[in-house]
Parts: sequence; C-alpha cells; structure tokens
Amino acid sequence: MTASANGSHKPAHTKPAAKPGRKVRFKVKRCDGPGKISRWETFEVPIEPGSNVISCLQWIAAHPVTTEGVRTTPVVWDANCLEEVCGACTMVINGKVRQSCSALIDAYAPNPGDEITLEPMTKFPVIRDLWVDRSRAFKNLTRVRAWVPIDGTYNLGAGPRERPNDQAVRYVLSTCMTCGCCMEACPQFNIEPDEAAWDTSFAGAHAISQARLFNMHGTGAQLKGERLDALMGPGGITDCGNAQNCVKVCPKEIPLTESIAAVGRSATIHALAKWFTGP
Amino acid sequence: MAETTGFLERHHFLLRRLHSLSGVAPIGVFLLFHLTTNASIVWGRLGGGGAPGAVKTFQHEVNFIHSLPALLLIEIFGLWLPILFHSVLGIIYAVSGRPNVGHYPYPGNRRYTLQRLSGYVGVLFIFYHVATLRWHWTFLIPGGTEWTAEYAASTMGAVLRGGAAGMTIAGLLVSAFYLLGVSLLVFHLANGLWTAAITWGLTISAQAQRRWGQVCFVIGGLLMLGAWSAVIGFATINHTVARGAEEGVHAPEPTPVLTPGMAEAGTLRDEH
Amino acid sequence: MAQQRVIVVGGGLAGLAASIRVAESGIAVDLFSLVPVKRSHSVCAQGGINACNEVARQQGYSEYEHFDETIYGGDFLADQHPVLEMANWAPKIIDLLDRMGVPFNRTSEGYRDLRLFGGSLFKRTHFAGATTGQQLIYALDEQVRRLESEGKVTKYESWEFLWPVLSDGPDGRRCVGIVAQDLRTMQIRAFRADAVVMATGGAGLVYGKSTNSVICTGAALSRCYQAGAAYANPEMIQVHPTAVPGADKLRLMSESARGEGGRVWVPRRKGDSRPARQIPEAERLYFLEEKYPKYGNIVPRDIATREIFDICVNQGMGVDGQNQVYLDLTHKDPEYLTRKLGGILEIYEKFVGVDPRHEPMRIFPGVHYSMGGLWTSFTAGNYNPAKPQPAHKSGSVPACDAEIGRGLLLGAPNNMQTSIPGLYAFGEVNFAFHGANRLGANALLSCIFDGLFSGVSVANYLANGAPSMAPAEGLPQAEFDAVVAAETSKQKSMLDSVSGADASDETNPYIIGREMGVEMTAACTVVREESRLRQCHTKIGELRSRQRRMALGDAATWTNQALSYARAVGDMLTVAEAMVAGAIARKESRGAHYRADYPERDDSNFLKTTYATFDPASGAARIEFREVDCSLVLPRARTYGRVDKEEAKKPETAAAGV
Repeated sequence: MTASANGSHKPAHTKPAAKPGRKVRFKVKRCDGPGKISRWETFEVPIEPGSNVISCLQWIAAHPVTTEGVRTTPVVWDANCLEEVCGACTMVINGKVRQSCSALIDAYAPNPGDEITLEPMTKFPVIRDLWVDRSRAFKNLTRVRAWVPIDGTYNLGAGPRERPNDQAVRYVLSTCMTCGCCMEACPQFNIEPDEAAWDTSFAGAHAISQARLFNMHGTGAQLKGERLDALMGPGGITDCGNAQNCVKVCPKEIPLTESIAAVGRSATIHALAKWFTGP
Repeated sequence: MAETTGFLERHHFLLRRLHSLSGVAPIGVFLLFHLTTNASIVWGRLGGGGAPGAVKTFQHEVNFIHSLPALLLIEIFGLWLPILFHSVLGIIYAVSGRPNVGHYPYPGNRRYTLQRLSGYVGVLFIFYHVATLRWHWTFLIPGGTEWTAEYAASTMGAVLRGGAAGMTIAGLLVSAFYLLGVSLLVFHLANGLWTAAITWGLTISAQAQRRWGQVCFVIGGLLMLGAWSAVIGFATINHTVARGAEEGVHAPEPTPVLTPGMAEAGTLRDEH
Repeated sequence: MAQQRVIVVGGGLAGLAASIRVAESGIAVDLFSLVPVKRSHSVCAQGGINACNEVARQQGYSEYEHFDETIYGGDFLADQHPVLEMANWAPKIIDLLDRMGVPFNRTSEGYRDLRLFGGSLFKRTHFAGATTGQQLIYALDEQVRRLESEGKVTKYESWEFLWPVLSDGPDGRRCVGIVAQDLRTMQIRAFRADAVVMATGGAGLVYGKSTNSVICTGAALSRCYQAGAAYANPEMIQVHPTAVPGADKLRLMSESARGEGGRVWVPRRKGDSRPARQIPEAERLYFLEEKYPKYGNIVPRDIATREIFDICVNQGMGVDGQNQVYLDLTHKDPEYLTRKLGGILEIYEKFVGVDPRHEPMRIFPGVHYSMGGLWTSFTAGNYNPAKPQPAHKSGSVPACDAEIGRGLLLGAPNNMQTSIPGLYAFGEVNFAFHGANRLGANALLSCIFDGLFSGVSVANYLANGAPSMAPAEGLPQAEFDAVVAAETSKQKSMLDSVSGADASDETNPYIIGREMGVEMTAACTVVREESRLRQCHTKIGELRSRQRRMALGDAATWTNQALSYARAVGDMLTVAEAMVAGAIARKESRGAHYRADYPERDDSNFLKTTYATFDPASGAARIEFREVDCSLVLPRARTYGRVDKEEAKKPETAAAGV
C-alpha cells in the first residue's frame, strides 16, 4: 500500500497496473428498513491507491450525491476493525459474499468506469441498506454450546496440556469470526425471519465447526454429547448438502468441510453408541 | 401433515442416515448389478459368440433373475420401497435448498445442484422405466410394443426404437430419455457415494475427500460406460438376430403356450 | 430486596471479563455494546499477553520484574500499586484463559509456548498464533454466551451509550444508570443500575486514521468526562512504531514481527532507489540495532517510533524518500514465519498485495493506544516498603512475592472507580496501568485483570456501598426521564439540522471529523511543540464552532448512522481538546509524550498525573497535576541501554529518546 501509495516508483508486486486518479462507479442496493422496497443508487467515487470498498463508502458518506446529481443519505453499513478479524463488514460484492475491508478496488475495478455492485447479505434480514441482522448466526453458537464449561473464574491452575498438532487444528477453527460468509453462500442455509424456527433451521457450517472445536478440547468435550444431540436434530449436521461453498468463501480458510465430516463421524459413532449402550 | 412433520423431526437423524444408506444399498448395489447385466448386451460379444452370443448371455442372466424365488417380494422390499423412500425423502430434502450456482460456480456447488436435478429427473425416469417395462403400461411406449423377460433383448430394442424395425422419431426420444436418465442416475450414485463418505464421516480431510472423489469418479466412469453401452447396445440391436438367439436360449425347453404368440407378435412388429 | 443490577458498557475484553466476574457473584448484568461483542476492537490485538511463567522464572524472571518493567516502560507515570497487582495476577490470568480453551501455541511437550516482546529480555509473552486478542476475546465471549443462556447476563448489542445517569443522594453524587440508544430503532431509553462499568476502550478515531476500529471514537469516555468524571493523562497517546498506511485506516504490524527477529532498516545512501533485496547488507542502516545494541529492534514502542520518525522526517532517509522504513523478515525461514506470524503476515499480504516473507514490509508509525483515560482510584495493598526500591536486577530475589493483595486490596470498592462513585472504568478507558507508555502485550493483560480483579470491587460496592442503602431500582423515575429528555432534544436538534439543499464541507460532520483527525495527527503525535499545539487548540475551537452549526445528511428516524457519527464528532472534539490541553501543560518529555521544546524528563515538576476535568462553561479542560504513587520503585532514567555517539555527554537524560 505504501509502495503504491506515493506512485513515485514501481510497485514491489507485479499486478495489472491500475490507473491512479480514476473514478469507479458504485452501484449500491439500498433499503430504508425492514419491509421497505429496495432500490439501486450509483455513485462515482475517486480512487486513491490502496482504496478499498470501505474507504469508498466513507467517501460516499461525506459526499452523498448520486451519479444523477441527486442528493441522498449516506449509505448505512456495518464495519469495525477493517482488518478482517472482526467479521462485521461482510456484504455481497459483485455477486459474491466477502468482507468489504479487504476488497481492494485495484483488484475489483482496475480501469476507469469499472463498476462495483454492493448488496446486503441475503440470508439475514436487512436492517438498513447494507447492514443485516446476523443474530441467528450467534444464536446458533448457543445452540451447539460453543464454550468450555469451566468451574468459574477463580484460580484453579492451568488448563489441560495439549499437543502442538491439536493446537494447530483448534487454532484455525477458533479464528471463525461469525462473519456469515459460509451461511450466505450455502444453498442449504436460507433466510428464516421467524426466530422460533431458528433452532430447527440449518445451523450453518460455522456452528458445526465450532462444535468440533469444543469437542476437541479436554474440558470442552464434557458437552460433546449435548452438542451432537443438538446437531443430530432438524437443521443439524444432516442438513448439509455438501455443496462445499462454505470452505470456498471462508475468509479465514477454516477447513469447514473437514469439520462437517468430522462431526458427521462423531454423530455416527454417537448414534451407534447411544443405540447400543442406551442413554 | 402435522403428524408427518412431527415424525420427520422426531426421527430426523435416523431418516437422514437411512436415506443416505438406502442410496448406497440396496439401490446403489442394485444399479451396479442392473447396469452390469444390461451392459452384457455389449461385453457379451467378447465371449466369442458375437451379437447373438451377447443376446444369449443377457437372456441367461434375465432368466436367472426371473428364476429367483419370491421375486415380487424381493422387488417390493428390496427395490421399490427403498427407491420410493429414497425418492420421497430426497425430494423433501432437496426442495429445502436454494441452489445458487449462478453466484458461486464452484465445482462442488455444480455437483450439489446436479445431484438434486439428477434426483428429480431420475425419479421420473425410474417411474417411466418400471411402469413401461415391469408393469407393462405399454400405452406409454411409442409403438405400443411390450417388453418381455423371455425376449429381453429384442423387445428392449423395440422399446427403444419405437418398434422392432429401425429407429423412429419417437424412438429417438425414448432412447435419448434413457441415455439422459441413466447418465444422471449414474452421476447421482457416484456423487452420492462421494457425499455419503462425508456424511458418515469416513473421509474427513480435504485430501481424503479428494482421493475418495477420484475413486468415485472411476466408479462413475465405469458405470457410465456400462450404462451407455447398454442403451446404445439395445437401441442398435438387430431384431431378427436377437430374436433368433433368444429362441435358441428357450429352445431346449420349448414353452408351447408362449412361443407361437410371441412369434406372431414378432411378425406383426416386423411389419411396422 | 430487588435484584441488584450492574451495567457494563463495552463488550471488549475488559467488559466481558467484568460481566463474567460480576455475574458469577450473583448480580444481574446488562451488557451494552455498539457491535456484537465478538466484533469488539480487542480482536485486533495480535502479539500476545505478558505474564511471568515457569521457564522465565527459572531464568531469573519474576512477577516483580514484570511489574518493574511495566513501571519503567511507562516512564514512572503509572501509580505503582495497581501495576504490581496486575503483574502478580498475570500468570493466574493465563491459567484461566487456558482453562477457557484459548488455543495458546504449544511446545512439543504440550506446554504453553512463549515469545520475546518489546521491553523485556525474557520470553514472557504467551500467544495464540498472531491473533491473540481475537482468541482471548472469543474465549470470554463464549463464557458470556454461556452466562447469557443461563439468564445471568443480558446483552444489548447495537446499543450506544449516550450518558450516565447521576443521582444526588445523602452521601453525594453517584452513578445509577445510563441512557442508551438502540442504533437500529433509534429508541432512546434509560436503564437503571447500581453500578456502571465503562469498558469502552480507546479514542484513536480522534486522530482520524489510526490502528483502532471504527467504533473507537472515545465518545463514551467523553460523555463521562463531560458529566463530571476526571480524565487522566489525556496527552498520553501511544503511536505504534510499525503500522501499514492505508486509505481507510492504519493497519497494525504487530510488535511480534520485531520479537520474532524482524529488523528495521533504511538504505544507508539517501535516495537509494534499488529494490530492497538488491541492497547489500553493508549498505543498509539498521538504525535501531546500531543505537541500542542491547535491545536492538525490540526497544519499547515510543523509542522505536521516534527513531523511525526521526530517520524519515528529520533526516529524510525514508525508503523512496517517503515516510516509510523497511521492517524486514526475509532472512527468516518462510515456513517458520508462517507458523509463528501467519495471521499478521497475511494481513499485510491481503491489504498491500506483497508477501512479507519475500519482500521487506514498508511501515510507518501510527496512532495506536490511549494510555490516558478516565481517572480511577484504588486501595493499596499490603506491600509497602520503607523506601522505594532501585531497579530490579534479573535473577536477584524479588522485593515482593506474588501473593494476592500485595499491590491492591482485593475487593476494595474504590478500586478502579472513577471520580464519580458507582462509575467504574476498566480496560483501555482506564488510565491506571501504563503510565506514559504501554509495553507491548500488556494491554490484553490490563483489560482482563481489570474485569476479574475489580469486578469483585463492583460486587462489594453493591453489597456494602450506597446501593445497599438506596438501590437504583427505588429511585424516582424523574431522574432518569430527565436524561432521556436531554438526549432526545439533542437528537432532535441534530435531525432538524438536515436541510438537504445547503450541503457545504463547512458543516459536513464527516469533513469536520476528517479535519480533526488530520490536525491532531500533525500536531499531537510523535513530536510535539508548544506553538504547534496552540495552533491545533485554535483549530479545534474552530472545528467546534463548525460542529455546532453542523448539517446532518440524513433525517431518518430508523438506523441513522449519520446521526450517531455526528453526535460522536462533538464528543471527539471535547476529547481532542483535553489531549491538546494536557500536551501543552506537560512541559517535559516522558514516554509517548515528546516535546521538542522540552526534550528532557522533568521529575521535579511533572512526575505527576495530568488530571483534567471538564469545564461546562468554556467546554474546555481544567488541567491539574496530581502526585504519582512512587512508593515501590525509585524513578530512574529510561534509556534501554542506549549507546549514543555522544554518550559521555548526557548519560542520564536519555529517557525521551532523540
């Protein structure tokens, strides 16, 4: 970024050279609130080297005038860390879900007049414009008891020792930021406005993967049976259709499909064990 | 309806796993044998007897199957009910998904979409296949010919061609439907084998899934070869030669009741 | 008696730790956060968390040395008792996080692995990949989710804290609740509580582009300050030496990149335009290693920052003549780097498009952390030596053991309580632990320590303090309604400002915010100087008058982010004013605060906490100075073993660096 920011030398990295000082057209799907009709608005945004979708939305917020010259309101969107670790700024960019902070304009629209479309995620209810309500994704973490049942916060010594290989697996699983990408891209995960139906609708790859994460932990395994029971009901592990889009769109490259298979194995064993030894 | 939903929910995991299992066995196993048997119309030629030899081999296999005791019961419980179960649940499960291959055109997603599509078309095809050949709903067959187990190859050829003689336009449609149907079902099985290994937790790592996917690809490829050779083999069979060979199979044990009738039928068809 | 309630504002590490501890003691917790708590700014902390550990202990390290380092790193501006207690708790906190399932990196035997971090010669930093903050907050988030499912914590996510509700009782004024707004429905309502914990983090957005998240406006701190809470050391802002400049923010390059062997250099020849890899070793200037042979590239942040700033701005030796230097890891094995620093290297690769395993990174300092924050009090513990100790020598017997209660009295109701009773400040918004400069990997520690340790104080305040006599539940509704009415009218006047037709930069809140950031970055970061600070103060006044005439761009009464931002701009200006006022008043150089016109540390006049209180009449800060608790360690020059060319001349005055 610094490399190209000053434009005075060759960028260290060879990429299709984007033209500095150009303008890019943003087509933004806007909606004033739940139940309101959506509309498209377009904005022409001047691009500086290193611009990303966030910096362009910030520019639009300060200059909310459409390409038709109509004054409008700043676009509403969700963002926080801008480093792709908080998961807030997920949206559908040119038809695909991802974080907008890491969507570099030079990669998306290298030429003057290029267009970028921004839409809210479709699997969660829209609050306004590009901001959606992802409560269901968090609710699903409760559903799979995604925690270690510790005995309280008093000083009781260290946790279980762990082999570095297991830590390496758990660490990657634990980088899930509940951003919603895997759910947005999943053909089996669909919008469910009725909160009462959340517990029986597909939990999504992230929740299954979190169940695996905590089943792998020495103390977390205490709740393994409960987690598997929750995932063996409607909307659980069996509702996965193996489209495997989740693993393709996961910004943290979490091996979600491996988690699904691993939980599938645990569920098979759990079911057999239950059947033969009984609850 | 409410009760149905309750039942499905109460036994969600069991039903889902039975759905997966039924696809592998008995349905998958049956398809393997069925296609191997039918493909003998082509590979049977390798036995040295040429086309008539293949017809004979095929006829012997059909005869063997039809000699099984309580065939109807085996069919009902080993085949029709599992297929019905697999189809009904499959459709219930499939309609809950919203394919999005347009936005996410990844290979896995294409397979996901095709798995469902092949399921829908496969159900139609299997129904047509069983209704026309097993239940003898001949009104659904162009030309109105009837498949019989005794003249399995020759009558099959007539069904696929729209008559005992050369290929008709309607016959072309039937053959094309057969090709499409079996191809999709073979894909459905091969891809189903791949996903079943994930579902049951046999393959976990991405590498394991890829390796098993290669195995499924080979299985699917061989089955596809068998399926295509069967359809093309039957559709291109010489009716007179086949009929002759079939007579030969039946000759040692003439069946006076049937032979004349079939001969007449054959004559009639030949005149088309 | 009605169920007692505690409100926690902020869902980062400090807020979550507080929620857990308070809920555990049987008190209902209402947790307010601008974002789903899992998305709080704590996720951005990359490097790790410091604590004494068995390996380091056997090498001669101790909790006491951790304490000593922290005090020394903070240039003796921190009150010493709280820091001692924090250092003593650190190993216990690591154990607790370990029990919660944090995937700390492991040795081959399965013990927690350690890394070297700035400001220490011992490996005392525990880490989970390169996203330790994320891993820590997830562990706490999970525990809070569990408490939530048990009905012990109620979350209010996407709610903004607007104002504390204060009530005048027989024992004086205390905090009895808050007024908050649902950022979706825009509903403004009051919530009663027997105590309120502010855990709202830093104020980096005052500087426009910083390493902070977009919610780190400091607005919550500002509102408490405007309501009467004192603001301590506002001028102490840490500028992180290694940030990656970007169009929307400055992205942190963790100190662990230096800890793992990263070398900072520029070409020896000014204007050398060869690609980095073509410059031979002899023609590279490793300026930190040359100047600080003992610590080398792992000198503390303020020193590294000023050296980089000096090389670029004063000497004009920045790479390609720009404000940037190389941070070079290419001499390390790429696989080792991926294993140890994968997460942060990916961030660089993702946002810059260059692989730092093969090309040196280009970095420049960026505003990072607020050492200053709401002023808080404490009750000292039972370690009170007859006279302050000299510098602790590694391997020698610590002056004090690590028993609970040595530094602070556990459960004393005034621990980390602001100048308003019932209003607590935990985490970055609390000024208590880092003095004039924070050591790397101490921030996560101070957040969790505050929550766990002072959470007990909150519970005791409820049990024995004013709330036990007069629960918030029983106070007259009018006291709460009045604050709701004030906030509603503030909002109405802002919504009324939407004209539509006339939209000039002059009154555009986003432009005002940006100008504030640019001005603050220019005048009040690495090098400060009186006339420039005064100029900045004037500019803030001018921005203030423009902010009063601000025209909002959105009249919506549903999910109006423009309104929320514009309101925060006013509060940020108040914070900026206090920062600049503090920087003007502190006529010395100490830690992160470097005055070109007063380059030396001045203990006789300024070994004191800047204590700012808001003057409603002028809208400006009243600055006083208060004594610092230096009863445990004797202040000494902070040199980090620097070797100067003219070392002989001024051996004792190097504290502030160049």
